Amino acid sequence: MCSEKMILKHPMSVRIFHYLLIVSFLPLAVTGLILYFKPFSGESMNLTMQIHVLAGVLLTLDAVAFFLIGFERVVLFVKRVFTISVNDVKWFAVLGGYPQKLLLRKKVPVPPMGKYNSGQKLFGICVLIGGTLLVGTGWILWAFPHNTPRETVALMGTLHTVFGILLTIFLPVHLFLGIYMFDDFKAMILHGRISYDEAREQSPLWVEKEVIPLNK
Amino acid sequence: MENKQYDYVENPFNVTRRQFMTIGGLIVALMVLPSLWVRSLVSNRNRYILARTKGLYRDDEKAKIRVSHANRAVAGYYRDFGGKPLGELSEALLHTKYINRTHGLTG
Repeated sequence: MCSEKMILKHPMSVRIFHYLLIVSFLPLAVTGLILYFKPFSGESMNLTMQIHVLAGVLLTLDAVAFFLIGFERVVLFVKRVFTISVNDVKWFAVLGGYPQKLLLRKKVPVPPMGKYNSGQKLFGICVLIGGTLLVGTGWILWAFPHNTPRETVALMGTLHTVFGILLTIFLPVHLFLGIYMFDDFKAMILHGRISYDEAREQSPLWVEKEVIPLNK
Repeated sequence: MENKQYDYVENPFNVTRRQFMTIGGLIVALMVLPSLWVRSLVSNRNRYILARTKGLYRDDEKAKIRVSHANRAVAGYYRDFGGKPLGELSEALLHTKYINRTHGLTG
């Protein structure tokens, strides 16, 4: 047991949503790339498509369940990622200090951030809009292509490809930075908690404005 | 189950009731509007198919000859040349075989 004060950063519902997101989106990204570049023969491509569809159904169930069960968290997430201030411009001007830290081993001043930093907000907006579009267009392309006008199906196909590639490009960046911020990684993957001092360093505005002591 | 191994939590009132209604309403509207758009596209397409089907039935009702066995030209062909329908000569002349022509298309 640790003696330092801890904050519950990622509740169980968010962690379960994130686990299912990992289990569904990783195969979706891999099979999506295979379906786009078509490197295999017919039978293997069919199997790839079946895995893609299965993972897509899992992602849909995960998203719909979280939307219905944790709607207040969806609202909170939307509020956070779309709350933009001058700090975000300043954050992007130094890219959160990450290139300086990683490449030059130099610490530069970074504007104070809330629960999500500006990069995470941008990623959140892309995931929110792109993910919703991918689920919607994916279902139309798979389940209702013959009921939908040809031009609409073509548009859906293009949107599905563009947003699929965009989120797949984001994925390695998210994985790298996720693991680089190891305390936050452990919080999301394991126990949901982060130390008060670490949170005050990373997300001072969140700790100051949104975090309250727990009445035990 | 989650053991209470933490001392702080997020304030559950981070979002005011007004913000919740506004943001929640916007999210629901942004989900519903595209669904309505796709639904209207599908129903317009179905309307077009139904109108075309109706037109074909109307043309059929107006036509003098509505079935092939009442067509005098066809009856004349069988009488003077082809023998019986599905007969050997008719089958050889009129029936086709399936040929897979997709190889050239798929490369």
